[in-house]
Amino acid sequence: MSNNEARRTANRSPEGIETLMETVGEQLEDGQLPVSVLHNEAVYEAERRRIFGQNWVFIGHETEIPEPGDYRQRYIGTDPFIFVRDEDGDVQVLFNSCRHRGSKVCRSEKGNSSHFRCPYHGWTYTTSGELVGVPQQRNAYQHLDTDEHGLHEAPRVESYHGLVFAALDPDVPSLEAYLGDATWYLDMYVKFIDMEVIGDPHRWEVETDWKTPAENFAGDNYHIPMGHKSAIDAGIGSDTATGEKQSDLYAIADASGHSFSLYQIESDDPNFWGHPPEVVDGFHPERLSEDQYEVARKSGVTLGTIFPNLSFIHLGGTNAPEKESVGTFVLRQWQPKGPGQMEVWNWILAPENASEEYKERVYESGMGTFSASGNFEVDDIAIWNGITEAAGSVFAEQQAATTNFTMGRFGDAAPERVPDWPGPGETYVHGGLTDENQLTFYRSWYDAMQEEPR
Amino acid sequence: MNGEYAAYARRSACEEFLYNEAYLLDDRRVFEWFDLVTEDIDYRVPVRTTRERSADEEFSDQAYHLKEDHESLRVRIERLENDFAWSENPPSRTRRFVSNVTVLDADDDSFDVRSNLLVHRSHEDSTTPDLLSAERRDTLRRTEDGLGLAARLVLLDHTVLPTDSLSIIL
Repeated sequence: MSNNEARRTANRSPEGIETLMETVGEQLEDGQLPVSVLHNEAVYEAERRRIFGQNWVFIGHETEIPEPGDYRQRYIGTDPFIFVRDEDGDVQVLFNSCRHRGSKVCRSEKGNSSHFRCPYHGWTYTTSGELVGVPQQRNAYQHLDTDEHGLHEAPRVESYHGLVFAALDPDVPSLEAYLGDATWYLDMYVKFIDMEVIGDPHRWEVETDWKTPAENFAGDNYHIPMGHKSAIDAGIGSDTATGEKQSDLYAIADASGHSFSLYQIESDDPNFWGHPPEVVDGFHPERLSEDQYEVARKSGVTLGTIFPNLSFIHLGGTNAPEKESVGTFVLRQWQPKGPGQMEVWNWILAPENASEEYKERVYESGMGTFSASGNFEVDDIAIWNGITEAAGSVFAEQQAATTNFTMGRFGDAAPERVPDWPGPGETYVHGGLTDENQLTFYRSWYDAMQEEPR
Repeated sequence: MNGEYAAYARRSACEEFLYNEAYLLDDRRVFEWFDLVTEDIDYRVPVRTTRERSADEEFSDQAYHLKEDHESLRVRIERLENDFAWSENPPSRTRRFVSNVTVLDADDDSFDVRSNLLVHRSHEDSTTPDLLSAERRDTLRRTEDGLGLAARLVLLDHTVLPTDSLSIIL
């Protein structure tokens, strides 16, 4: 079957997905990706099961539910869960569906409660999911074993220094094994610094496939001068983008399937993402290796994507040129909402032990750059939306149109492997001129899509 | 001037201000709009969450879609005028509907005004608009050049924004 035929079959039927994925596998080797995977019903349905049903997925940060009974509604893919701290102080991720008729037992986005009570018939559960109340049980449900009818739990829940992930598949490796080499980099954010979520996440709907921003944050540094020219002209964003500070960009293309970009500022003056010395004093160098500490010391803006759909940017910069630079840490999740559609979730975090005034500045700078109103974000989204339209087109299907990830592949191109980079992963310098990070993202995606749902 | 007439005149003045700024924003005369903003402007669009009826507050006092002062608003306005501001180039077409204008409190120099806002925003050739609905709580203050916008709190009716970016002024 030709590629064209394969794609047309795939777009018509869920059965055709295997043939389409075969094409993906072949084309990725040449740095190409069929654009139709970014807007395709069959791909979307397969992703719900193979990507979101079989990998660790971010749920939230522990500081969002500090007290027993604190809860937030969250999603694994599109499946509804309650992220709750139970009466014993343990974090639970419970399926938000009554064991009686399936209604949602938690209908608020957040709050504090000792119990979840179903509004349909009143079945009541503790914050750890045990069924403790069945109206008229003695008359109506004598046979019911309440021990067997607690709320379903996400099969796996683990935290990495405050970042809570869950998996629908009980057989996934441990979270730490899944993150693998990525922990070396994550440690600089969540182990070195005790981070705290400020307020509630931003949520907004975007007509873009979730993979597009995941790929972008994995390492598309090539788009910055063009895509973000308006914001850079306005004198805002990172100190490295505005030219305030000179840096080298290192692309960590493959850290166990996850990708990172690190702008490194060679200077005796520490940078630490623009956090001032009094804030840096509260960090924990003893929790990092000397190599990690040195990379953190030189870090300007750094970003990355933890496969599948958690990205972050740690940005030393400002939302107005006259205002002082601060370090702002933004976590975002690209939630699938349909073929070519997502909902963005955006959390802004600050060092927990910084002053309230500093945290407020961190928030404002994060919001002014990366949020629904962020002066950087808004232009990204306007551009990404156009990809979705093309990806869903008949013409792209007919032409077997691909998107191109061949930058920096040839011997005379700028990006070079760095043999003496202190951290793990496949590392390139001049990282804005290579597509290897994005290819890592799609290889992870391709590998996960090969896994038949168990 | 009797009290009833004074109240009517106040409301009229406030309505005129709100309609005028809506026209300026819809006509993309953003710098002229910015001239109506006082130097100490406090402009906020807090994040709303779905809460139980018994919850004290649906609006965050920490999380905002916009929380701007004069300086950061100026950055946004200047950026919008840049040819490379892709979110508004081509620009979205907006139509602001302002209604239910009520003067809640007033002294000689300033008015606290409540109003409803519906923004119809359309992009490119899409026939499905983004609709943003909100209550606004504004403080309008007398200045040498007439009324100025000194504070604005936009209380959205949405928890998940039904628009792909907030690169417009509400």
